[in-house]
Parts: sequence; structure tokens; C-alpha cells
Amino acid sequence: MKIGLFIPCYIDAFYPNAGIATLELLEKLGQDVDYPLDQTCCGQPMANSGCNSDAAAAEALFVRNFAKYDAIVMPSGSCTHHVRDNFDAIPQTAEVQHVRKNTFELVEFLHDILKVEDFPWAEFPHKVGLHNSCGTLRALRTASMSELGEPFFSKPMDLLSKVKGISFATPKRPDECCGFGGTFSVTEEAVSARMGLDKVRDHHQAGAEYIVSADTSCMMHQQGCAERGGVPIRFIHIAEILNGARS
Amino acid sequence: MKVKPVNHAKAAEAFLEDAPHLTFHDERLWDMRQKRDQQMHLLPEWQELRSRASAIKEHTLANLPEYLEQFEANAKKNGIHVHWAADGAEHNRIVGEILEKHGAKSLIKSKSMVTEECDMRAYLEPRGVVVTETDLGERIQQLDGQMPSHIVVPAVHKLVPDVARIFAKNYNTDPNDDSPQSLAESQRMAARPVILTADAGMTGGNFLVAETGTFVVCTNEGNADLSATVPNLHIATLGIERIVPRMADMGVFVRLLSRSALGSPITQYTTHFRGPQKGGEMHIVLVDNGRSARLGMEEFWTSLKCIRCGACMNTCPVYRRSGGLSYGAVYSGPIGAIIDPTFNERKYSTLPFASTMNGSCTNVCPVKINIHEQLYKWRRVLAEHHELPFVKREIMHMAGKLMGQPTLYRTAINGTEVALSSLPRFVLYNWLNPWGKHRELPHPVKQTFHSWYKKNRLKGKEESKGGKA
Amino acid sequence: MSSRDTILATLRANRPDPAAHELPPVAVLGDMDAGKARFEDALQLLGGQILLPQEGDTLASAIARRFPDAKIICSAVPDFEGTIRLEDVASPQQAAATDVLVVRSPFGISEMGSIFLSEAQLNSLNSAAHLTQHIVVILSEKNLTANMHTAYVERPEFHTAHYGVLMTGPSATADIQGVLIRGAQGVRSLSVWWE
Repeated sequence: MKIGLFIPCYIDAFYPNAGIATLELLEKLGQDVDYPLDQTCCGQPMANSGCNSDAAAAEALFVRNFAKYDAIVMPSGSCTHHVRDNFDAIPQTAEVQHVRKNTFELVEFLHDILKVEDFPWAEFPHKVGLHNSCGTLRALRTASMSELGEPFFSKPMDLLSKVKGISFATPKRPDECCGFGGTFSVTEEAVSARMGLDKVRDHHQAGAEYIVSADTSCMMHQQGCAERGGVPIRFIHIAEILNGARS
Repeated sequence: MKVKPVNHAKAAEAFLEDAPHLTFHDERLWDMRQKRDQQMHLLPEWQELRSRASAIKEHTLANLPEYLEQFEANAKKNGIHVHWAADGAEHNRIVGEILEKHGAKSLIKSKSMVTEECDMRAYLEPRGVVVTETDLGERIQQLDGQMPSHIVVPAVHKLVPDVARIFAKNYNTDPNDDSPQSLAESQRMAARPVILTADAGMTGGNFLVAETGTFVVCTNEGNADLSATVPNLHIATLGIERIVPRMADMGVFVRLLSRSALGSPITQYTTHFRGPQKGGEMHIVLVDNGRSARLGMEEFWTSLKCIRCGACMNTCPVYRRSGGLSYGAVYSGPIGAIIDPTFNERKYSTLPFASTMNGSCTNVCPVKINIHEQLYKWRRVLAEHHELPFVKREIMHMAGKLMGQPTLYRTAINGTEVALSSLPRFVLYNWLNPWGKHRELPHPVKQTFHSWYKKNRLKGKEESKGGKA
Repeated sequence: MSSRDTILATLRANRPDPAAHELPPVAVLGDMDAGKARFEDALQLLGGQILLPQEGDTLASAIARRFPDAKIICSAVPDFEGTIRLEDVASPQQAAATDVLVVRSPFGISEMGSIFLSEAQLNSLNSAAHLTQHIVVILSEKNLTANMHTAYVERPEFHTAHYGVLMTGPSATADIQGVLIRGAQGVRSLSVWWE
């Protein structure tokens, strides 16, 4: 299986360690991974703003970059959600459909496709609060949703449970959106920042030293809120923990 | 006429500045969501009920003209006067004429979102009709000159001192009364004589039943039953979409409604009106006001399934932190954001953006309206109809172009690589300045992933694979 | 064209394909326990009470004990006296003076703890049920139905009564800062007496 790695723009620019960890982890798991250098964006920011036709160039480029791979993997739930569920600014050719069908968020790829049983190199002796982005939770369905009363399951929790020394804090409102919401974070900055502050406080009060998530965009926002609000909590992408980061 | 879009963000910012109100509002509505969850867990058939409710409603909407005709025929047979109102103005005229015919000068009414839609009080009052809201929350809002901020709990954004202040002004009660019990008692005492001497009563309604010509009203305070039974004239106003085919379908809806709304199994009163009471006269006004047009909107017609439980508002993290009044519309919260633009596209063009599209609303909706997907679709429609702010549209246009050109994009990125001390414009755009108002910026990094990859993975690999940098 | 015809025509033009949205069969789901214990639990959850007889109690003595200050006790049933009969109450204004109204409900719903009343039980003075300060409802265990589905499927009253109310406990509100208050604008208490 040939894997194409997509690194979203904000990870590329602000959180390269999450991207590096994703690549190294896939390599440790014996995967053949390419990072096409001409990649930019999946088109989500434009599409989510309603400007779907403005997403066409990004989507077309995405397909040019990734059509040749068996699987496209990305450390981002919301980008995966866009490609899988909303990627329709361009004609739906066979190539486009191939890309949409074979795009995976990292956690679901590890959990459902590779079915990884063990991360022998991983040890994280800290109490963490898991943040599921709304994209992973309610669109990709990588965990059970409290509103539906379905039996508990959590793919990210399954993976993290295989890490030595890790323990989990239980926030009061685990499924509550953190308020990032893409451009919402600036067009509705006051509500967004308040949601973010409430979110990091909830994790902090539950005893979490770290917030861990498969979505860096949520954490970028939460980190900004925590630092401004003086909430002493750290942030780490799930790929970094699974790849063996100790702190 | 140029209408200004509602500035939800600004109103929300003001709401957030008042910590006691904000905290109570968020926690109270979250508590309602928690109680809803507890009820759901008690019923193993919960998801089955939601599916049934959704299917019944979709079927009914697809057969709406027939069911409305059936309802009308049965209601008339039972002695109910049935009126049809194309819009709010016609609704108000109909109600006004009925009252005038009876010489009615005082009207007591229970909560009705449709009369809010029609702005009925503003029509009747200059015509000499004293309209008294009898629902406690709605009465508080009426006395305070505000719209209801929530479709089920209209004054949920207020605290005890607010109510004490309003009642002191209008009921001459102690402005420092800090007991909700005694304030509620003041309302009972003030309302009772008004109810006993009113010329006419008015209610909204939750359901119409085609099979029997019945309308069903679900309330808790007893004020709707008082409004309907004390005066001899009862006028009810309902939207045309509130219909179900069979009386037996009511089981599904009654079981879902209050559990979704308040987390109680049923409202204290579930009242079935099938005809006038002895010596009385009963009218029902069936209101369209945009609904028949909405039925033709392929992506949005299922919003007509709504049974007005408010569960989507209670669970919405944005609504809880911005308050219903910030939406500047009769219907607030997630459901408001998808139906308000059908009333006025420009005025409410901002509301589908007052959401993170997190999807919790869709999950709690008892009739399975895909609310967050409709929010997404509305954004597209609004962009296509040029209802987005110019700057935002331009930025998206430029960003879209940039994202299609990898070389240009990479140049823009590399400019920020060495010392990222401010947000790079290429990702966060110039209108993103508000980011830093309540948040820190991301920390600078030494190199992008892209550069790291070239340094650490491409040496030697590049030539053999023919990749380009 | 009248508004009626315009609305119906627009609906016909705009509606989704009826063939794609069939009416599901009537749903009868959930717990089928039509028992007294379930009814009592549900009633008490919504703030209703059970008027429990003590040794040798009649309904009259139980009411006297429960409502010692009641001056006007209005009876809507043939087998209980009260201080006034509902047939002798001429108007809502007169009914408003009632302290306790005693009625008999044709059925109750175990799932909810609801009791049903219509003009047939209220001598067509429907407001009496809401203007009284307290209400005592006589109910027979054999007239319990399991849940909302069975109630709507089985009970003829929903097809015959002009006014049919399911009352579940006393009137209530939580409109002031979320504080639950029993006894809002309708009855301050609702008690069930088993017969």
C-alpha cells in the first residue's frame, strides 16, 4: 500500500512536530509514505465559508497530488471530513471519487485499516484529557456521541490505552465543541474564545496535565485561550504520543 | 429596501461581558440537556421514536395539502371556525376581526411562537385590545419589552433580580424580592383577575391532528388551559406544518417533546381541543407565513419537521454563550439559524455563520433535522446570493486562488518561516486580527514541516523519484 | 383566489414526492407495564401526590385531613358530598373560589402518571379544573393504560371529547432562574385517590 501524506497548512506552518510524528509513526509501522511537495490545502476554509467555488482550485490540486496513492492519510479530522463528505467544488470524476473514498484521518487509519495492536516505543507518564474534535466525533464517528446514548467506544482512546504510563482525566462536558470552528474563531471571536477557555478549564479541573487531540486546529485555538486565560495545561497531538514523545 | 444583517457577534460579545448572567445561562441550559440525556437513557426505544417521528413528519409534509383539508373538514364538523392566513398581516387581521365582532377588548394568551412571528401584539394594541401574556416567562418578556430569548423558556437569560425589578415596576411588588417562589406567586395573583375578566383567550398549539380535527397544546403552568377555558371565545394559532395524520401518532410526539425540551417525561398539561366548549366559540388560524415556500426548498424543507422543543438550543455551545436575543430574530439558536433566512435572507444572513457546525444540534433533534448540514448548505446559498460581507468573500476568493498555486503558496509560507512573531496573513488573512483579542497566537517555529521533510527525507530520494521541490 | 386556495396550491406545487415518503404504521413501543406502582412513581416525579387512606378513612376524611383549611370543596362526582356540587357552580368566576375540586378520571397513563379529564367529568365547566386551588382525582387501577402509545390507540375519549386534558401533577414553572415551582397558575396540588 502506497500512502500519500497530507499535512494541513496550519500544521505545516505552526505545528510541524505533529506532522513529523505522523510521518515517523507511519514509517515505524512499516508503511511506504510519500509527502507530495506541491500540496497546499484541502479546500475546507473556502467551502465552510460558503464560498464553495473558491475551493475548486485547492480541491483540483489536492486530487492531482494524491490520486496516485492507495491511501491518503492526514493528522486532521476536519480536513478528512471535508474531503470525504463535502469535496464537491470540482466534477466528481473517478479520480476524485478514488481520493475521497481513500482519505483517512490518522486515528481511524491506525485503528481501522492498519489495526495497530501495540506501540512498544510509546510511553507517556502523564494524565491527559482527550479532546475529540467535532469533525472526528460527529462526522468521522471515531468515538461514541453522548447525544445518542450509544454504547461507549473511542478509537483514539483505544490507541492511547496501548501507551505505557498514560492515564486519563474525565472532563464534565467531553463532547462540547471547543469553539474553534474555522473562520468562526475570528468572525465570532468573543464566543469562540469563551468556548475555548471553558473547554481548557474543564480539562484542567478534571486534572489533565495535557490535552491530547487528533486535531491541531482545535488545539491551536485552545492553547491560545489557555495561555491568555492563565490555565496551566499543555497540548500534544495524538501522533506525537503514539510516536513515543515523553512530554 | 436595504436591510442590515443582524450583528450576532457583537450582541454575543456584550452578553459575554456579564459573568453572572452568562454562567447561569450556560449552566441552566446545559442542565436541561443533561436531563434530556437522562430521559433518553431510560427509553431503549429512543432512537426508534426519533426515526418514527421523522418519518411521520416527512410523510405529512409530502401530503400536507391533503392533511390540511382533512383537518379543516373535521374541525368544521366539530364546530370550529377555521381560518387561513397567508402571512403575518393576514393572521393579525383575522384575529382582530374576530375580536372586534365580539367587542373583545381584553385578550389573555398563552405562549405562541407564531404570534411572535406575526408580531401580533403590536397590531392589536393600537386597536384598543389589551393583550396579556399569561405564561410566566413570556409575561416577564412582555413587561420588559423583549422578544422571547428561547422558544420554550422565554426568559432563561434573566436572573431573579431582573424579574424582581420588572415585577416591582408593573405589579408594585418588593424590588428586592429574592425568592422565585414569591415572585411566581405575584404573577399568579396578578394574572388571576385578568384571566377571570378577559373577553377572549388565545393559545398557540403544538400539533394538529388531521384525523380528528384536534389541536394539541402542551404546557406546564396551566395558563393555556385557563386562557382557553375561562373566556367563551378561544382563538388558536398554529403553523400549517404542525400537523400529524392520526391521533395514534401523538404517542410518538408526546413521548419525545418534553423529554427533549426540558428533560421531563411529559408536560404537566397535554390538552386536546376538538371543538368549542359548551356555550363557547372556537377559532383556529392556520398560518403559512413562508412555510409553503420553504416546502419547495430542496435542501431546507425538512426544517418544517421541527416541533419547537428547543433541544438544539440547549445543547448549542454558541447559543448558551450568546443568548437568544443575540440572534435578533423570533427563532434563535440552531433551528433559528436555518429557518430565519427563509423569512429575510439579508437580515439573517449572518446567522448560519454563528455556529461552529459541531453537529450536536442534529443529534438531539427529536425529529432528526440535519441542522448542522443545513447550516453548511445555507452558507453556500448565501454566498451564491451575494449575502456575504464583501471582505470575507474577497479573502476567500484570493485564498482559494492561492491554494491552487503551490509555488506561490510556498513563497508566501516561506516568508514567515524564520521568525513567526505574528500570524501570517496567508493563512489567517487580514480580517483575522480579532484572533488575538482573547487568545494568544501560536508560537514561532524554526521550520515548516515542508522544509523539514525536504532536509530529512528527500536527500538522495528526490533524484531517484524525480520529485520536484 | 382565497388565501386558503393559494396556500394549498403552493403546497401542491412545492411538496416533495409523496411516493417517497410513506406513512409508517402506528407505533406502539416501549414498556407495557400498566401497573399502579409505575403510575405512582411517574406521578410523584412530576410533583403529584397519592392521597393515602389511613385506617377507617373515607375520601371525605382523607380530604379533610389533607386540606384542613379548605372552605369550598367542590364535588364533580356523585359519591362524594363536598360543600358544593359542580352542577351548582354557574361560572368560572364562581369556580375560582374553589379550594378543592374532586373529580373522577376515566383513565390514567402509567408511563407518565397522567390522568385524563374532559367536559364529561367537569360538567362542561372545563375551567373548574384549573381555577380550583387543589384537585383530587379519583382513579381506578383497572383504568390504567401502559403508555402514551396505548393511551392514544385504546382510549375513545381522544376521538369524542371536545376538551380533553392529560394532567400530570400540579401546574409548574421554572421560568424564574430555573427554580422549579409547583403550583404556577393552575392547580397548586394534584392528588390521586385510588378506588
